[in-house]
Amino acid sequence: MENLCIKQTKSTPTIQFDVVNNKLRIEGQSYPENAFRFYEPIFTWLDQYLLEVDKATVLEIYFHMPYINTSSSKCIMMLLEKMENAYQDGRKVAIQWYYNREDEMALECAEEFKEDLILPFELVALDNDE
Amino acid sequence: MDLNLLDLQKRLQKNGVLITFSGRFTQEIIEELGDAVRKYMETESTQHKTHDVFAVFIEQTQNVKNYASSRSECAIGEKIANSGIVAIGKDEEGYFVSSGNMLATDDVRALKGKLSTLASLDKVELKKLYKEQMKKTLDLESVGAGLGLIDMARRASGQLHYSIQDIDEQISFFTLKVQV
Repeated sequence: MENLCIKQTKSTPTIQFDVVNNKLRIEGQSYPENAFRFYEPIFTWLDQYLLEVDKATVLEIYFHMPYINTSSSKCIMMLLEKMENAYQDGRKVAIQWYYNREDEMALECAEEFKEDLILPFELVALDNDE
Repeated sequence: MDLNLLDLQKRLQKNGVLITFSGRFTQEIIEELGDAVRKYMETESTQHKTHDVFAVFIEQTQNVKNYASSRSECAIGEKIANSGIVAIGKDEEGYFVSSGNMLATDDVRALKGKLSTLASLDKVELKKLYKEQMKKTLDLESVGAGLGLIDMARRASGQLHYSIQDIDEQISFFTLKVQV
């Protein structure tokens, strides 16, 4: 399976899904013209990856998204649900969600995502100079 | 008569408008104006407020744009696409983001229904509605997630203010003001 890399733009995040180290990284703001069109290849990739990856593999997922519009939030929720299903299926999935310490809104948003999930979901505060 | 830009500018300033755009919305225009909103606010407001104003600005402008694309096949599609307007400003109640656009009169009832539901809910109920909507399965054709208005209602300091004016039998003009 190939890595998935998508470069950041002003309104879309960097996507780095690395199949060698089993690390998935989503970083940046998300408010594209059509969120579903942007996230669809990511859903497809993740579905395929979860099918192929060995059950014992520890999958680490990093999010750092200072702003997410509503249609992207829907897509992020769909990604998280895929990961949650994989976790409930016995896979080792852990999420680390980074936010800037000063940014209460980003923390609130992350907490709302976390609320309905049981998979390991760690909120990590970053200081502004980090 | 010639357009007097000085008069127009005075009227905008009198109403506290800081940034405005009128015309056809594109993603590029939304991104550039969004940056301008952020830069302006970062110098004079809290991060929280800046984030809210920016978020409401994005939801409003993307709603206007998405509505125009959803009606692009109609006879009045061009009119709708060119009818967008947005204004970000500050008045005695704080920051506001207002947007306006033409709407097919056939769509007025559904919109009014949505807005009156939102007006009847408090912040806790709005959060619940947001989460329910978030869990709904989307059809592949949709560009939006049906979450924008709920999100704005959650961020608004009071109710969402709106008006719908009839232009002719087919077209109405919708204005939405969100005080943050």
